[in-house]
Amino acid sequence: MDTDVQTIIRGAAFLGAAMSMGLGAVGAAIGEGYTAAQANDAVSRKPEASGDILKNMLVGQAVAESAAIFALVIAILLLFLDVPVHNVLEGAALLAAGLCMGAGAVGSGIGSGFPGGQACQGISRQPSVMSRLTTNMLIGSAVCQTPAIFSMVVALMLIFMDFGSLPVGPTWAALIGAGLSTGLAAIGSGYGGGLAAGASCEGISRQPETVGNVTTVMLVGQAVAQTPSIFGLLVSFVLIFKAFPASSMLHAAIALLSAGLCMGFGGIGPGIGNGKAAEGAVRWVARNVAFSGDLMRIMLVGQAVSQSTAIYAMVVALVLIFVV
Amino acid sequence: MGDLGKIHQLIIPFFGHDITLNLEVILMTWIVFAILFALGFLTVRKKGLYPKAMQMFGEFYVGQFYGLTEDALDRKMAKTYGPLICALFMFLVLSNWLGIFPHLEEPTKDLNTPLSLGIMGFFIAHYAGIRSKGFKAYASEYFQPMFFMMPLNVIGELAKIVSISFRLFGNIMGGSIIILVVSHLTYSFVLPPILNAFFGLFVGTIQAFVFTMLTVVYISVQVK
Amino acid sequence: MALEGADIIKAAAFLGAGLSMGLGAIGPGVGEGMVAAKACEAIGKNPREAGLLTRTMLVGQAVSESTGIYSLVIALLLLFVV
Repeated sequence: MDTDVQTIIRGAAFLGAAMSMGLGAVGAAIGEGYTAAQANDAVSRKPEASGDILKNMLVGQAVAESAAIFALVIAILLLFLDVPVHNVLEGAALLAAGLCMGAGAVGSGIGSGFPGGQACQGISRQPSVMSRLTTNMLIGSAVCQTPAIFSMVVALMLIFMDFGSLPVGPTWAALIGAGLSTGLAAIGSGYGGGLAAGASCEGISRQPETVGNVTTVMLVGQAVAQTPSIFGLLVSFVLIFKAFPASSMLHAAIALLSAGLCMGFGGIGPGIGNGKAAEGAVRWVARNVAFSGDLMRIMLVGQAVSQSTAIYAMVVALVLIFVV
Repeated sequence: MGDLGKIHQLIIPFFGHDITLNLEVILMTWIVFAILFALGFLTVRKKGLYPKAMQMFGEFYVGQFYGLTEDALDRKMAKTYGPLICALFMFLVLSNWLGIFPHLEEPTKDLNTPLSLGIMGFFIAHYAGIRSKGFKAYASEYFQPMFFMMPLNVIGELAKIVSISFRLFGNIMGGSIIILVVSHLTYSFVLPPILNAFFGLFVGTIQAFVFTMLTVVYISVQVK
Repeated sequence: MALEGADIIKAAAFLGAGLSMGLGAIGPGVGEGMVAAKACEAIGKNPREAGLLTRTMLVGQAVSESTGIYSLVIALLLLFVV
């Protein structure tokens, strides 16, 4: 096939843009749908509060949208940006950027829907704490967007960094692995962080005086739930910045691709699990504030053990990069 | 867009190795120090029983963060570690907000700043743990719940440093890159300042708070 | 790229190692998280039994970990032995 480099790169860029927007639209849509569903339920329970509930729903949906907007920005960049062309590596980089942002936006989109929905339910239950519910919804959703922000950072690095001087040999797999590592790992963390934020809105609406403790436990729980996506980010950085010796052997390339897949998939489960642990802790801190210290400690212990498979995945990924 | 990753560095050769200093980051950190000193000086200048505005703000702030530390640790330890927590949060918040001013950038945008703060927190936490529990009890914790979990527990502790530092770094650097790219794409006056406000003020405050809270929590986990 | 037999085998082994550990980490992650969530709930309902509940949680999580360890073993075998 005598296609020139330019064509391959443009093709890869288009494919990347498609993956970015296609996948990115999935998460935000599901999240916003969940919010709207809960809002409907809330309005049916208390029709007089429908104006406030609707306003809250729209604000919550706007924050959930932001992950999809990151994906849109990456997609537009991939479609219209003229990158200096040196070799086929650019194509791999652009495709990887698209995959990374697309997958990364899924989790955060779904996750950001939970606090919005629970906030709307909370307003119907307890209209007096509406401002506090909105604040917690915004804080929780914003922190829940962090894995999507990490994906965007990796995607932008893949688009704008100059890979012209590196050998095509195994580096194409390294770049795609870097995209997959952060992108996939962000799915679990986004979803988990959203669970915790949703539980905090629910808890505040049931026991408004526990606001301070609930918010603190939510933030700590979300932060730990994001750790698998941070491991994914670390593996991505290693894959992007390490100079690999030129090799035309298939197994060298597959090793790097596999490292990305390993860390990417490995981050999904612990992210969701840590989020569930945080959700349980937040929900019960609201009901039993006196023991919030003990609850936070047990949450951290449980999350640390649940984190261990993410650590195994990171170890295997690093072994694949450095040892093999 | 070409100078997206350019950092001005000063490389000093020192006995065969190079000491690399990132000039912009050091300058920005000094600016944050200057602001912190100025704020501190203004707050304690006129101490009286009837507090004026700056003193009231200072008392409120210290009261909040001391309370946070006391919730996690007991009263005696909170006296030791309270000032650290207050200083850490104030430094991080001002560092993250510095990017709003033109021509200034956040010192936390460079990986060195969050990583050094994370390593500092790690050493403080483990030192506190060893001091309160004794070395034997501290070391035996690594072998629970099963003997061969030791290397995994050690990696888990190191992973805590990575996670706490990279979270702050990723959020702040990501925000600044997003603002740069959006400003490059759209020729709008309105959009970049809004994004700047969101990422710089809002996300910056939350991430500073999360970093501080996690440091307190790590210290309390080691001490219990 | 000249694809020889040994090359393809090594490539397949690496891919398998990555997929094995990656996909294998999903299950224990979610499961142990659910255990931790229920432990928080139990302690919230009955804080006096915190010690017993913590121990039960850790035992449950260790059992749930076992499939994750199987995946790790297979991954390491694929990397270094095969």
